Amino acid sequence: MTTETDTGAGTGTTTAEYAPEPTPRLDWAELAPDVFKAMIRLDAAAGQGLDPRLRELVKIRASQLNHCALCLDMHSKDALAAGESVERIVQLSAWEESRHFYTGKELAALELTEAVTVLTDGFVPDEVYEKAAEHFGETELAQLIAAITVINAWNRFGVTCRRTPGHYQPGQHK
Amino acid sequence: MTARTTYMDEGVRSAMRALSAAAKKGFGDPALAELVQIRASQLNHCAFCLDMHLAIAREHGVPQKQLDLLAAWEEAGDVFDERERAALALAEAVTVLTEGFVPDEVYENAAKHFDEVRLAHLIAVVTVINGWNRLMVSRRIPAGSTEW
Repeated sequence: MTTETDTGAGTGTTTAEYAPEPTPRLDWAELAPDVFKAMIRLDAAAGQGLDPRLRELVKIRASQLNHCALCLDMHSKDALAAGESVERIVQLSAWEESRHFYTGKELAALELTEAVTVLTDGFVPDEVYEKAAEHFGETELAQLIAAITVINAWNRFGVTCRRTPGHYQPGQHK
Repeated sequence: MTARTTYMDEGVRSAMRALSAAAKKGFGDPALAELVQIRASQLNHCAFCLDMHLAIAREHGVPQKQLDLLAAWEEAGDVFDERERAALALAEAVTVLTEGFVPDEVYENAAKHFDEVRLAHLIAVVTVINGWNRLMVSRRIPAGSTEW
């Protein structure tokens, strides 16, 4: 049984019950250990050379678009632990209207993140790609695309297997 | 049409290949893996991946009729059996995450046709082709290109 008081999520002045925590569907990492190991390797490779703060913003935004609760839990906590501001994380889902919280480079990365994440609605527009290419050199841009691709992959495992959020400790998987 | 860039970090490329191999090996049904990968590539509009996986599917003996009707598999009657339909429905749900989640009925139907190990690898196959789709569409690698 979960209450606001015992999760520490609220003010502690109410004992209103939260809905029960869902049960995960599938422990894919246990069932497909070679796949999990390859994902860890891919994740490490895709992060090389990218600013860690930018990388977390990209991961949070893609996880918002893909509705991955586990990934939001993990990357918001990692971002906060890395010194990211609450404000920039909160504003991220409306970044187009809160551009003044982010640098031009971050905005270009966020725009590319959306285009690469929502492929089903179209392609990656030239203006989005070109703006990213103005801010990122060839190798850094390749790593940004790789990082967006990899968080999209984690999102797919997280959502499909219904991995439960709320238990992540910052830095747990680092 | 020329690629925007053909550059990819070698570490990323080799990790993607290892991931892809692990997913397909564990799934163990190459023909169905191709159907699923083609369907995801249709949804993600990846010309390079469609070209590549349609060729591989033919090599694996996937009937031309299935390839022709894949984009409308739900309306294609008995061209696809129940197991294939369960895998395709899951592939679609896992690919189009931005519009919602993976519905219980889709997941449960897949779980009826595939044991847990196969199911985990099927999810991996769909996830990996979604990865390749992103890497290819973003860089606009032309269909049939040998440099990617």
